[in-house]
Amino acid sequence: MTSQTAPAGAPPLQGLRVVELAETVAGEFEGRLLAELGAEVLKVERPGGSPTRAVGPFVQGRPDPDASLNFWYYNSNKLSVILDYADPARHAELDALLAAADILIWTFQPGEARALGLSPEAISARHPRLIIAAVTAFGLSGPWADYSSSELVAMALGGPLFSCGYDDHSIPPIMPGGPQSSHCATSFAHVGVMLALIERDKTGQGQIVDVSMHDATAMNIENANPYWFYPRAPVYRQTCRHAQPKATEASHFLCADGGYVYYTLVLSEQRAWKALVAWMDSKDLAAHLTDPKFLNLDERQKHYGEIHSMLECFFLLIDTQDACREGQEAGLPIGAINAPEDLFDDPHLRARGFFQSVETPGVGAVRYPGPIYRFSAFATQPRAPAPALGADQPILSALLEGKATPAQGRF
Amino acid sequence: MLTSPQVTSPPDRRPGRNAGLLSGVRVADFCWMGVGAIATAILADYGAEVIRIEDREHLDLPRRLPYYKRAEGEFARAAGEEMTKADPDKGGLFNNFNRNKLGVTINMREPDGVALAERLIGACNVVTENFAPGVMERWGLTYERLQQLCPEVIFARMSGYGHTGPHAHFKAFGPVVQAVSGLTHISGLPGQEPSGWGLSYMDKQGAFYNAAALLAAILNRNRTGRGSEIDVAAVEAGINLLGPILLDVDVNGRRTRTPDYPLGNRIEHPAAGPHGVYPCVGEDRWIAISIFTDREWRGLCAVMRRPDLASDPRFASPELRAGAQDELDVIVGAWTADQDRHDLMRRLQGAGVPAGAVQTAEDINEHDPQLATRGVFFELDHPVIGEARFEAVPIRFSRTEQRNWRSAPLLGEDNPYVFKELLGVPDDEYDDLAQRGVI
Repeated sequence: MTSQTAPAGAPPLQGLRVVELAETVAGEFEGRLLAELGAEVLKVERPGGSPTRAVGPFVQGRPDPDASLNFWYYNSNKLSVILDYADPARHAELDALLAAADILIWTFQPGEARALGLSPEAISARHPRLIIAAVTAFGLSGPWADYSSSELVAMALGGPLFSCGYDDHSIPPIMPGGPQSSHCATSFAHVGVMLALIERDKTGQGQIVDVSMHDATAMNIENANPYWFYPRAPVYRQTCRHAQPKATEASHFLCADGGYVYYTLVLSEQRAWKALVAWMDSKDLAAHLTDPKFLNLDERQKHYGEIHSMLECFFLLIDTQDACREGQEAGLPIGAINAPEDLFDDPHLRARGFFQSVETPGVGAVRYPGPIYRFSAFATQPRAPAPALGADQPILSALLEGKATPAQGRF
Repeated sequence: MLTSPQVTSPPDRRPGRNAGLLSGVRVADFCWMGVGAIATAILADYGAEVIRIEDREHLDLPRRLPYYKRAEGEFARAAGEEMTKADPDKGGLFNNFNRNKLGVTINMREPDGVALAERLIGACNVVTENFAPGVMERWGLTYERLQQLCPEVIFARMSGYGHTGPHAHFKAFGPVVQAVSGLTHISGLPGQEPSGWGLSYMDKQGAFYNAAALLAAILNRNRTGRGSEIDVAAVEAGINLLGPILLDVDVNGRRTRTPDYPLGNRIEHPAAGPHGVYPCVGEDRWIAISIFTDREWRGLCAVMRRPDLASDPRFASPELRAGAQDELDVIVGAWTADQDRHDLMRRLQGAGVPAGAVQTAEDINEHDPQLATRGVFFELDHPVIGEARFEAVPIRFSRTEQRNWRSAPLLGEDNPYVFKELLGVPDDEYDDLAQRGVI
């Protein structure tokens, strides 16, 4: 915020209850985002816990359902109760929980749902005010609805993977790091739930919000879609820069300390050109680029390859963070290719108080990323650790007896 | 200087009665480029009246980039090769990002332009921008000023680094955000230069979270009557998308500048293998296969007709297979190499094996039966471009509808509607503003 006053209001989802039947990262991430906006998120797990608890990395490599960092990352600020929803005898209890809920997060493909004896359509019919966020691999409909997927398979089928990798096409396309297919689905689930809440405030009606990794990754291929819509041109992957219909020069540069910066040499802007030459010249490394003939764009374009090579040499003589700071001060859009371990001490992120340190039993302080957005009208919920399996079991019986209110949660 | 005539919309493109879920939300939209425009497109798609404010002398880059339909034999241009004197109404990227919006032109370097913008803001209830920090302030359009013009205003600010902190003024676009947030570094083959991203992932993801933030603020205002300023830093969104590796680094002291990192197409958690991308018939054609469970492994071996592998004790658990990936990759890659990627995918999926063809944009647009059923693309006519395809918001609601009523505005197309009808600018004043280049 540009103003420094602390936000006064309660977060907008305070008072709303979410029942999370999510066994995937995509659904759990959406639950985390709703909890940050103030909702009480009740994570309902089968005995043994969500399968995401069995996925590492683990604290000190210890395979324990309460020590999965994968689970911690996506399940902060939630409550955990155990209810065996695969057992039809427990479905009445689940139904009673849903009767007291505003939002249901659901991650089962149609075939899995049939095996559980549950269906989002039937739940929606019984609970017309409920918003059901169905976050699945392929969606609730279509010929591939029960296909098996993974982060890699979804990146492949949706299209982003074909744009990512190296100049050398004997190397297969390379998947970008992190569970990004899930993240793509979550981003639309989040938009969808916000729209559905606005709709419910207006009409009193809930609905099913059906998003999938496959649809979501297909809408995250960026330039490959409009290149197909318009010139009907395929784009080809290139090392660490945009896939394009034809080859372009590299945008990542090795620096003196072994790190990389990302910078795209664009010659068409006169101001950026002058800034670049002045910066190089300040280190006596501009050589003949100070020649006034290069103030002419055509002359620069003719020597693009040569200028690019000189830039490669220039960066080899500067350390990564210096290159970024000096380049940005010169007005050029340069970024360090940071590793995760570089981020915690970043002076800018520190000044913004971005990382949230969360005291965690048995581990000490754990640093989580702060919220994706900041509002002047209200503060998002500060991070609280992910719940141990079944940590909030008493709430289940209280809810089933109709006694608990959201305020009785742990937060 | 561009001298587009003051155009008049044909009847079928004129803004009609506002309908849809977000009717009543009116946005003075200073966003440009990708990340801002994609965010406000989502509001427009669901019924908000989004008024793009453009500058005739500094055209939005997507209006200039060479995403053009092309004649037979013509070559496609790389995105960097923009045309000088490009027709601002011909750019396909702008069309994709700005459907369902209105478009006006205001010269903000003129005091009368700023005054007109303030009148427009007074008739709106949301203001959006993604300029470098300081631009709105230069025009005097601070949150405090906007609140004077419109007491319950929502002011959404989207930038690379956010509006506070020592790097607030740093410049960024999608790939720079990906680099700075760590997303580029964690992508590549072990110990090699990063392969990173072949696309502006954070222009997309940044936009979707900006849209969600705007919707959360609208929801909050509907309930409390209070507006809000919103600060979204794309770098901070990007760090949220790193995933659990961030906690591995913090809690376990994991280091990622090591010869065994990043992981290429393999994953560390849970144990998996084979887990990779394998060649198929055709130039640069591939299939992705991810084997986690013993059942999936037996399914793969059955399709390969290799019972010997299924019963081989060296491959008898996920952990053993994960440790034997170098060997398994050679076996699987040799087997896939003379097969069709889609046919193989169908056979593997039939055996319960997670497998997917590495699809191109052509594949997903023309040959993907799932996306065709789900309807993630739609088409609209455009006066200059003609019929064109668009990316929908890929959410299937059982109730809420996406309203696609018009392709992107021509430059200044809605000046008459917005300035005369909405703001009540008299004809003679309007003509004067046009003549002096204020609009």
